[in-house]
Amino acid sequence: MNRLTVAWRNVTRNRRRSLITGGIVAFGFVSFALAGGFMAQSFDGLRLSAIRSGLGHVQFADARAFEKSEGTTLEFGIRRADAALAVLRADRDAEVVMPRLEFYGLVSTGGTSIPFGGTGVDPQAEARGSDIPKTVQDGQWLQADARAVVIGRGLAKLLNARVGDDLTLLVTTPDGTLNAVDATVGGIADILIRELSERYLALPLPLAQELLAAPDTVSRFSLILHDGANESAAAVRLGSALRQAGVDLGARLWRDLAVFYQQVRVLYIGIFGFMGTVLVVIVFLSTFNATLMSVTERTREIGTLRALGARSRRIATGFVLEGALLGLASAIGGALLSLLITLIVNLAEIHMPPPPGMAKGIVIHVQVIPVVYLLAALAMIVTLAMASFLPARRAARAPIVESLAHV
Amino acid sequence: MNATPLLSGRGLTKEYPMGAERVHALCGVDIDVYPGDFLALRGPSGSGKTTLINLLGLLDVPDQGTLRLDGRDTATLSENERADTRRDRFGFVFQSFNLIPVLTAAENVAYPMLLKPQPRRPSATAPGVALPPASMQSWRAALASIPSAKPEPPGDMQARAGELLAAVGLAGKEHVRPDLLSGGQRQRVAIARALANHPAVIFADEPTASLDSRTADTILDLMKQLNKERGVAFVLSTHDPRVVERAARVIALHDGAIEMEAA
Repeated sequence: MNRLTVAWRNVTRNRRRSLITGGIVAFGFVSFALAGGFMAQSFDGLRLSAIRSGLGHVQFADARAFEKSEGTTLEFGIRRADAALAVLRADRDAEVVMPRLEFYGLVSTGGTSIPFGGTGVDPQAEARGSDIPKTVQDGQWLQADARAVVIGRGLAKLLNARVGDDLTLLVTTPDGTLNAVDATVGGIADILIRELSERYLALPLPLAQELLAAPDTVSRFSLILHDGANESAAAVRLGSALRQAGVDLGARLWRDLAVFYQQVRVLYIGIFGFMGTVLVVIVFLSTFNATLMSVTERTREIGTLRALGARSRRIATGFVLEGALLGLASAIGGALLSLLITLIVNLAEIHMPPPPGMAKGIVIHVQVIPVVYLLAALAMIVTLAMASFLPARRAARAPIVESLAHV
Repeated sequence: MNATPLLSGRGLTKEYPMGAERVHALCGVDIDVYPGDFLALRGPSGSGKTTLINLLGLLDVPDQGTLRLDGRDTATLSENERADTRRDRFGFVFQSFNLIPVLTAAENVAYPMLLKPQPRRPSATAPGVALPPASMQSWRAALASIPSAKPEPPGDMQARAGELLAAVGLAGKEHVRPDLLSGGQRQRVAIARALANHPAVIFADEPTASLDSRTADTILDLMKQLNKERGVAFVLSTHDPRVVERAARVIALHDGAIEMEAA
């Protein structure tokens, strides 16, 4: 006989009550584990989506470009782009290097002129490192040597343009003169964010450089790194290599640039944190009530134990041990239940409606995160131990003769 | 009785609130309990028997008066010291047995032994601490010399619990839970439990009140036998004339005061 055995026997003493209390705790655990798994999956999806939206894992640009917008076209442009590109491509961690030339201009079909945000890209690199080429439903993605452009569906609608239509692109070059080129609509991309869709225009990098009269110039480089590469270390190493090649550029990691990801993350953590707190409070109050009943029923027993020489602290810790044991057993049950529900949900492929601003719905997928399971178990054990401690401490400090006389 | 009293109460007074009034449960009682005593406290309900037992057993504190244990004023004891004293010096037998339902008979008996502090393992590296003696005998002797740290090893606890149960006539009932025992058997377990830590005094509050007369006789004979054989003092509160018949001393209480004392 040891304290653990006695505590477990007390837990199983009133089986129905322990089952109900354990059920509440297991429910709390399942909620934690599933919400945590869903959250982790969402963060993972958003992270990948942000990186594949063109941000890449690391970006290199003129350091000022990360701080403010350009006052004039290509004010912060990288002039020796080919040299920089060679350095970046040579790195062991670089999987895809995507040079970008960003600018603003007017696009016209003859009758209508609409402002656009243009991006000159390397079509092949973009096809490997970004998901935007996959959104082209009408026509096709850019070809390196063609004069075809890809526009967002929103812009196509505003221009009333279709694949094969002729366009004129009008810009202000870095030296302040106006320049224009003719192009055709090669493809229409389904950009999910409407505001972006109405301004999106991608064109091959040589065509963009010709339009802006800026040969060997880009705005930034986005890098997709190999799986498992250390982003921060790669950024430092590549920055140093670029400086050695005579190109001094600033670096930013994707998480510093992915504003939407960070906002969603904060929002999710806030929502789930609030829900988690409410859950813990509910579990605490429910189990507190059960523990209070148990302690009250055992008041006389507490008096007997104290008469036999048990110190108040020993009695209170005995109840805490019972609470912790029940919490542990319930957490184990909750973990098994969570795994089962996770399996069912993932196999069922439940579709959620599209989130605001998005065109496509998402399939619910719940990850099994061991840390979340561990934290949930810890939260449940501590909650139950706390719920046991408060009434037990009070009962253990009550006058012995009153406890012995309790009916 | 000319021995030094184990317990000595002087002017013990206790009041309890009852609604807006205060009830005088004990009014300046003087009492001595001697080693090996078999003392019966008798009197009608409300005469203060249980209150006196509670005060003598350190379950409660007097409002006035002093209680000395081995000459030491118990008012100076902290709450933990009072608990340790109850554990090491006293045993308790209750009217309704008060056994722990989740423990077997043997575990109930062994429980007070578990309450003794576990000895600290001496550290060989700690400065100023001697290495454990080489032989087990001298090691046990060293352990035994540590004040109030003489726990029974688990095996010894079981053996002693079995021995005590056998002593109260419950050999073979070690693994039975209290709910499967009769009233008399439960009271025997309670007596065995009271004996667990070699107490100087066992306090029994109405020990026969929940028993039929035949069982009550058996229990009283058992207590008397333990009193004689083990020298443990018994202080019993009772209405039962059979208890009074067997007592070496009888104190009659009435309205919280000693009405009569007889040997």
